[in-house]
Amino acid sequence: MGTRERRARANESDRVLNALFLAAHEQLHKGARVEIAGIALAAVGGYGRGELCPGSDLDILIIHNDHLSAEELSTFVNSVLYPIWDGKTPSTDIPRSVDHSVRTLSQTREAANTDLKVAMGLLDIRLVAGDASLVASVQHNAIDDWRRDSRRRLSELKVLLADRHERSGELAYLLEPDLKEARGGLRDIVALRAIAMSGAIDVPLERMSAAESSLTSIREALHIQSGRTKDRLLFQEQDKVAAVLGYADADALMSEVAKSARAVDYLMQSTWHRLDHRGKDGLGRFLRRPRVTNVGRGISVAHQEVVLDIGAVTVEDPVLGLRAAAKAAQLGLRLSMESCVLLAQSLRQDIGVLPNPWPREAREDLVALIGAGSAMVPVWEALDQEEIISAWLPEWRSVRSLPQRNFLHRHTVDRHMVETAVHAAALTRRVHRPDLLLIAALFHDIGKGTDDDHSERGAHLIEPLAKRIGFGEADVATLVLLVQHHLLLSATATRRDLHDPATIASVMAVIPDLQTLELLHALSIADGEATGSAAWSNWKATLVADLVERVRSAMSGSIVAPEPELTPEQRGFAEVGALRVEVFVRDSDYAIEIIAPDRPGLLSIVAGVLNLARLDVRSARTKSHGISAVMKWIVSLDPNAPIPTAEKIHADIHTALNGQGDLERRIQERVKSYSQLPSIPVPPPVVETFDQASSECTVFEVRSHDQPGLLFLIGDAITRCRVDIRSAIVTTLGAEAIDTLYATEISGGPLSVERTNEVARRLREALS
Amino acid sequence: MKLITAILKPFKLDDVKNALQAHGVTGMTVSEASGYGRQGGHTEVYRGAEYTVDLIPKVRLEVLVDDSETEAVIGVIVKAASTGSIGDGKVWSTPVDQVVRVRTGERGVDAI
Repeated sequence: MGTRERRARANESDRVLNALFLAAHEQLHKGARVEIAGIALAAVGGYGRGELCPGSDLDILIIHNDHLSAEELSTFVNSVLYPIWDGKTPSTDIPRSVDHSVRTLSQTREAANTDLKVAMGLLDIRLVAGDASLVASVQHNAIDDWRRDSRRRLSELKVLLADRHERSGELAYLLEPDLKEARGGLRDIVALRAIAMSGAIDVPLERMSAAESSLTSIREALHIQSGRTKDRLLFQEQDKVAAVLGYADADALMSEVAKSARAVDYLMQSTWHRLDHRGKDGLGRFLRRPRVTNVGRGISVAHQEVVLDIGAVTVEDPVLGLRAAAKAAQLGLRLSMESCVLLAQSLRQDIGVLPNPWPREAREDLVALIGAGSAMVPVWEALDQEEIISAWLPEWRSVRSLPQRNFLHRHTVDRHMVETAVHAAALTRRVHRPDLLLIAALFHDIGKGTDDDHSERGAHLIEPLAKRIGFGEADVATLVLLVQHHLLLSATATRRDLHDPATIASVMAVIPDLQTLELLHALSIADGEATGSAAWSNWKATLVADLVERVRSAMSGSIVAPEPELTPEQRGFAEVGALRVEVFVRDSDYAIEIIAPDRPGLLSIVAGVLNLARLDVRSARTKSHGISAVMKWIVSLDPNAPIPTAEKIHADIHTALNGQGDLERRIQERVKSYSQLPSIPVPPPVVETFDQASSECTVFEVRSHDQPGLLFLIGDAITRCRVDIRSAIVTTLGAEAIDTLYATEISGGPLSVERTNEVARRLREALS
Repeated sequence: MKLITAILKPFKLDDVKNALQAHGVTGMTVSEASGYGRQGGHTEVYRGAEYTVDLIPKVRLEVLVDDSETEAVIGVIVKAASTGSIGDGKVWSTPVDQVVRVRTGERGVDAI
């Protein structure tokens, strides 16, 4: 089995057809020796490429120049084809199924013009017998027309492919896929070659040569093993085909199918993207240069793709790749193929390798990448194709394209985890630690691939992985628990008596607190939804929700972030009532401590000043003390922003506190300029209130997708309700923000129920 | 022949399955179901807000048996499914005219 055998089959067919053609010619001229002219037999499609599997059709075209009568032509064609149909050829190794057409030059051109499949078949035309000049003309016309009319033909091709993919599904993930028709299959390879021949765009076909060779050999082995001409790789054939081709088992075979299909599909998707966006970037059409928008340190957007800036890949910036990936996913764009290749090359040369543990920025970028929902999938796929994911996260290697041959699952292990993360991204508002939810979702099945219990094995693998990503000890413990027990809620809810206190106690013995409970619940939902309807239904969701509510009501404690503590030094200066600003460098970020005379609206004023200084707030802890407020901000620098200094921030806050500087208008302008960048759909913000969390304050918790000026908007909405913020705890996890505000009436004391509802309503309005 | 249908609490499915297998029943059909009987759904209180769970998740189990076995199999199911509390479910039997095993074409008791 292999290219040589497929070629031999094509050669054998050539010999047989040639002999039949000559015999028919002789018969036509009653044995007289007449030179062959005006008629030819050509191979098209797969046969034209010399690739014949045992079950392939013989795609042939008989071209003539209309010099024969209808009767003569019919006799000629019949005497070529009937021996094949009847199996009366000297060789038995040639296909008996013939797909033929008989046309003149102009009919051929006309057919190609109206039928895309004919046009594509002709691109591979090859002379088998007869008048070579006729075949040369057809070939010339076919390629010429294909190139000239590429815009129309390629858009037809796109529709054709989309229809076929819709019907046949994805080769990489189906349990019994069609090797030819499914997305990423052999027909897509032919389509890619046709796109390349159109000259409309450069297609790096060498990227799919390994995939093509694997898929073609598997198809050939399937035909031989099954003795049938079907291309669907059924369960019952997988073991036999694996054995014939020397794979360890059917899993290894299906893994190879998945890997090949993904390589083909990735090339296809990036080719369409480049075709769709070439020359569409504004001035690009005139200047022959794309419009480039800088969107982060070392990364830009061009041709609707995120690209790495020239010279950005360096030893000093190991976070570049993750930053680009997170940015691409959050903007809903692709990561360019060239950038991925560049990144992979540098990683192979040990340039830009992430340190252990990762810096905070890298961890947050990973969370922002996973948290982008379905926009993450093409970015992740691009990184995985270049083996960048495995370079960052070596544990990923063991689940890459790993098939799950059971009817519950519809994806390979790695894709299932990516899909779980996509579903988890929609649930981030339901939990207080979206970062832990997303990471647990992405790695919950990392232990699969051996005969051991995958949850236990996963727990062992996630521990060092989470430490390397840079999580603290408590977070690592939570992640280990989530991975180890990701099936606990589903299994308990369906198999144990929920009315029995012992059932609730058994769950509480594993889950330490409310925060972990809500994380595990969200993870169970995301896992179930990603697995598919066979594993997750309303029926099961109801049972799991019932269990969670029972456990929740049996648990005590609070999930509200506590108020920050102040140092004696901070308290001492706060009592002075003056403005003081200090700036410290902290890793790649800046810590800014501000002590300022307290007044309503201080939080939004300071947030606004930092925003205008192009400082991105990662976290903040603020607390009122006496006549001042003490604020500790952790900020990261926007690309091209000046280095922050205490003097500059001091002056800006001073100006703003005096009501000068037109803060609000400038913030609005800045928000507007951001809104010109593309965006992705995100879950709506959630505002929750807690009246029992503190005796002196009412607590508001805002969970939202991070956006420019978010904190300014929140602070501003609260101030407009004439409410004072006593403490604020601001956290950004990847692209998600959780802000907890301890609020009082200006005169002191917590808010009434009516006032609480009013503030919550205003907050929701401000964020919508 | 009879078709025995049982509506059970989901967590009791394994017990009932094991008991039926021990009794010699080799095949059954299980599906997810939701509903309520005399227990009429129930009311939950969560963070001060009351909400009613209308339809309670249940499991529906179906077994085909010979007439002579009906009472014994119902007894096995009831015994295994019982917790003594409200919402344990119901078991009933209905007459069956004909049964055909698709693969072999066997009919009647032979097809059970």
